[in-house]
Amino acid sequence: MSESRRRKMRTAVLLLAPAVAVLLGVFVLPMLYILLMSFQNKQEHISLVNYATLVQDPYYLQVLWRTIKLSLLTVLACLVFGYPVAMYMAQASSKMRGIVTFLIIAPHLVSVVIRNFGWVILLGEKGLINNVLMQAGLIDKPLRLMYNELGVVIGLTDSFMVYMVLAIATSMYQIDVSLYKAAGILGAGKLRTFLNVVVPMTLPGMLAGSTLVFSLSMSSFVTLALMGGTSVKVLPVIAYEKIMTELNWQLGASISFLLLFSTVALVTLFTRLVETKRYKEVFSS
Amino acid sequence: MSKSFDVELINVQKKFGTNVVVDDFNLQIEQGECVSFLGPSGCGKTTTLNMIAGFLEPDRGDLLIKGKRMNGTPSNKRDLGMVFQTYSLFPHMTIFENVAYGLKLRKVSKAETKRRVDKVLDLVKLPHVAERYPKQLSGGQRQRIAIARALVTEPTLLLLDEPLSNLDAKLREELREEIKRLQRDIGVTTIFVTHDQEEALYMSNRIVVLDHGKVEQIGTPWDNNRPASEFVHTFIGKSNRLTGVVERVLDHTLELKTDTGISLRAVRRNDCFAAGDKVSIYMRPESIALHVEQRHSAATNVAKGTVKLTSFLGAYSECEIDIGQTVLTVRLQSVEQDGWLSPGMHVYTEWKPEDVFVFARKENGR
Ligand SMILES: Nc1ncnc2c1ncn2[C@@H]1O[C@H](COP(=O)(O)OP(=O)(O)OP(=O)(O)O)[C@@H](O)[C@H]1O
Ligand SMILES: [Mg+2]
Repeated sequence: MSESRRRKMRTAVLLLAPAVAVLLGVFVLPMLYILLMSFQNKQEHISLVNYATLVQDPYYLQVLWRTIKLSLLTVLACLVFGYPVAMYMAQASSKMRGIVTFLIIAPHLVSVVIRNFGWVILLGEKGLINNVLMQAGLIDKPLRLMYNELGVVIGLTDSFMVYMVLAIATSMYQIDVSLYKAAGILGAGKLRTFLNVVVPMTLPGMLAGSTLVFSLSMSSFVTLALMGGTSVKVLPVIAYEKIMTELNWQLGASISFLLLFSTVALVTLFTRLVETKRYKEVFSS
Repeated sequence: MSKSFDVELINVQKKFGTNVVVDDFNLQIEQGECVSFLGPSGCGKTTTLNMIAGFLEPDRGDLLIKGKRMNGTPSNKRDLGMVFQTYSLFPHMTIFENVAYGLKLRKVSKAETKRRVDKVLDLVKLPHVAERYPKQLSGGQRQRIAIARALVTEPTLLLLDEPLSNLDAKLREELREEIKRLQRDIGVTTIFVTHDQEEALYMSNRIVVLDHGKVEQIGTPWDNNRPASEFVHTFIGKSNRLTGVVERVLDHTLELKTDTGISLRAVRRNDCFAAGDKVSIYMRPESIALHVEQRHSAATNVAKGTVKLTSFLGAYSECEIDIGQTVLTVRLQSVEQDGWLSPGMHVYTEWKPEDVFVFARKENGR
């Protein structure tokens, strides 16, 4: 190894050392400990009993499926509502772009807890929406807009849409506007241009946004507890219950790993599906 | 019935805010013609092209394509082909898909699409790249594909916005040859935007010279010898400028005297000068001859000078001759120059009356 390379290595090690130390201490070691714990029974002997429970009791599989379903719905909602915002940002003046970016980030300067209470005012049984609809005579008993799965998806979408918008907008900024002109002159109307040029060119942004929103939704806890109430059980919530109320740390640990494993597996699967041969040829540098 | 044109612009105007970018643009293009828009950066070439393409709406005036008024018709309904400066191929489509896209939108059958795409790829001499993606091609190849994509739908009108300006000099020459050949073979009516006068001269049947959004001259490449304005003369090629006054106006010639005292004769070109008018006098570098001795006793169209600098530029050489307060650039065939000129030498510059161009000088003294 040459002298200059050795010096570079030393700089790199010095720069990364504190972060690596912190990660090792507060993340990797506890994770390994939890992993170990998930393979122990109550008497702290090595055993597969926790995983056997998860696989055999349909309750846990139901909860797993609900967690995945709600996360997918959130991804979908973020795509549907976030895409137009990103499109607006891509063609807006830099001033408007700044304002919109601020507006979608601003709510996140407020704690999740406070933000979710904001939803109560809007969506609750005596909330604004129900009030208005009742007054207008459109409904005669309040709609159930929260403390159910709908409320959870609304809350999660509100929390995570910003990631989707920014990811899509970033890939949209990179489309050369002359491509729109080229499509137009070749005979494509607005809709065709959107479907044939804009959508395929923003696939990387949609993939990045979806991955982020999906992983965040899978592990979301506060929003679930506040927007879902006691009726919507998902993996993070039952892991919490197992550990904090039943003091069954071992089962809680195995639920955590089920969550981690299914998130990684689904994200990998999803990425594989999107990253076709063409995708790689076009978007890899 | 009046003659029908492929493209007609009638009093077209375009403003951005209060800035008039294209003003009173009138032009008629015949079927099969290749017309160049030539002008310096910012003169409104792209803006005019964008109005024809339908990306911008004129604020005033009419645009007719094949006799049909096109104002307000979106670009996807105009049946045009266009090649952009930045190629603008769709990065996520293969070359085949890029070229076939216009046909797909026109719902042409698979077999017919294949046949036409193959044919046009042959035409631009790139039949083997169909399965590649644009980023796997060189700049010149991309531009060829862009041309193929524009031609495959057999458009009424082909628009080319500085299609060669991103390429190196050699490729530029090669490709302009090819575009010219294609254009003449297919006979597609074409508008070619460029700021390179040589390209314009090479490519087109007629040249529209623009300055600050105004048409300065519309003419054939040969009309260079009859420039409509000082701008046109100086924009199309290098020229030496002297200032002076008109001494006498004869039937066919003007007698002039420069401010430095040189007497000149110039052929008249539909001007209306009077004795005493202040004028700018132009001579092109290639129309000035150099001699070591004075050939004629006549003292007009001759100036004595000193060689200041010579530069060898391949096919020709340029030298700067100081004729007293003015420096003339003179262009010589390289062989002519070969060794006999050196800085400090005294020479006589000489030119013909038909090579002298005279324009009225504005009062502010320019
Ligand atoms: N969207 C716009 N808004 C305001 N001004 C514009 C706009 N587009 C062009 N202009 C102005 O109009 C003028 C003409 O622009 P145009 O693009 O037509 O020039 P051009 O002749 O194509 O120049 P170039 O050779 O540099 O491409 C310029 O002064 C430019 O600044
Ligand atoms: Mg331009």
